[in-house]
Amino acid sequence: MSLKYGVLGLLKGEPLHGYEVKNRFEAMLGGTWEVNIGQIYTTLQRLERDGLVRPVGARGDRGKLAYELSPDGHKALEQWLAEPDSGPQQLHEDIYVKLLLATRIANGGLQPMLARQKRAYLQRLRDLNRLEERARRDGRLDLARLIRGALLHTEADLKWMDELSSERFGAEAAKTE
Amino acid sequence: MKELVRLTDVTKVYQGGITGALNGVSLAVEKGEFTAIMGPSGSGKSTMLNLVAGLDRPTSGSVSVSGTDLGKLGETGLARFRRDHIGFVFQFFYLLPNLTALENVLIPAQLKGDGSTDRGRELLEKLGIADVADRYPARLSGGQQQRVAVARALINNPTLLLADEPTGALDTHTGEQVMELLGDLHREGQTILLVTHDAKLATRHAARVISVMDGKIVDDARLASPERAPSEVIRMRSEEKLR
Repeated sequence: MSLKYGVLGLLKGEPLHGYEVKNRFEAMLGGTWEVNIGQIYTTLQRLERDGLVRPVGARGDRGKLAYELSPDGHKALEQWLAEPDSGPQQLHEDIYVKLLLATRIANGGLQPMLARQKRAYLQRLRDLNRLEERARRDGRLDLARLIRGALLHTEADLKWMDELSSERFGAEAAKTE
Repeated sequence: MKELVRLTDVTKVYQGGITGALNGVSLAVEKGEFTAIMGPSGSGKSTMLNLVAGLDRPTSGSVSVSGTDLGKLGETGLARFRRDHIGFVFQFFYLLPNLTALENVLIPAQLKGDGSTDRGRELLEKLGIADVADRYPARLSGGQQQRVAVARALINNPTLLLADEPTGALDTHTGEQVMELLGDLHREGQTILLVTHDAKLATRHAARVISVMDGKIVDDARLASPERAPSEVIRMRSEEKLR
């Protein structure tokens, strides 16, 4: 997820200064991403350097400076929105590496690890369900959609644990090189 | 909490095949719990439900519900037990096609000698399908048919509501509505045992998830429901390098 394009997208609506960008960004993300104001200022400065945003008017009280999108900024944002995410799949969580290591260290005996991980995923599903309910109650359909995506991802993780637990995979000799 | 269901070292062997068999299952369910049973096809999860419902008998071990040892009941006693204590919702509804929605709902009450239609109408009202009371099942949507089936399951105020893949034949949205209904019933105090493939729906409503594999309980998870900040549940982060 990109802070740079998130900021560009917010500035498309109207000129904003740093704190407004931070607040709106965090509100848009529904509390799933807290950014510090330093990151916002750094991002705005780099966007200005690259000609994608420009300051509007003079510095206001307490040195606040509002930014708007430049024509190049509009173009960059549109391009980014039109591109599919086609990069490599991102697998950040430790379980992927734990699984590889466990295959070596535990001599293929993965069951306890899989059982623990499965429980964690069940709990995550419950937490995500709560979050989705809250988002819908608050009228945040956009956020509910995002959480729905997380729910489906976690469901897939759970299915993966089940598949790893089933005999078909358990009985295969683990090959590690 | 009061214990409602107890399975003790239950084994079920089927002639000519192992699918759905149970191999030494012990389980206790308390009054007011909403428990989901999950597992792959043929793992024995539906068999567990059928044994608790008194629709089937174990090969060995004992099943007791509400203090009654089902193994001690004859066929008549078992039928009476089912009528008085169990509400069952199936994947494919199993409504009688030549009876209206309301008539279907009333069958279990009539078996008990209760000819009143009031509670039937009340339930249809509560489940949001009062307007289709006089329609035949063929003229109802899947979601409406399942609501009728839920009303039928509830008509005799069952001690225990059992549901075997109640959303399996429904589209996602309708399935969610039916599960929402079960969630409401649970909040009103109904004890529910649910068999499902859908972990998303199961964890939304059931705080206890039992995993069954190859006829055995392999996990019995009690899920917590704390108020969590969004960032404790989902973390979005920027991976791009600032250049």
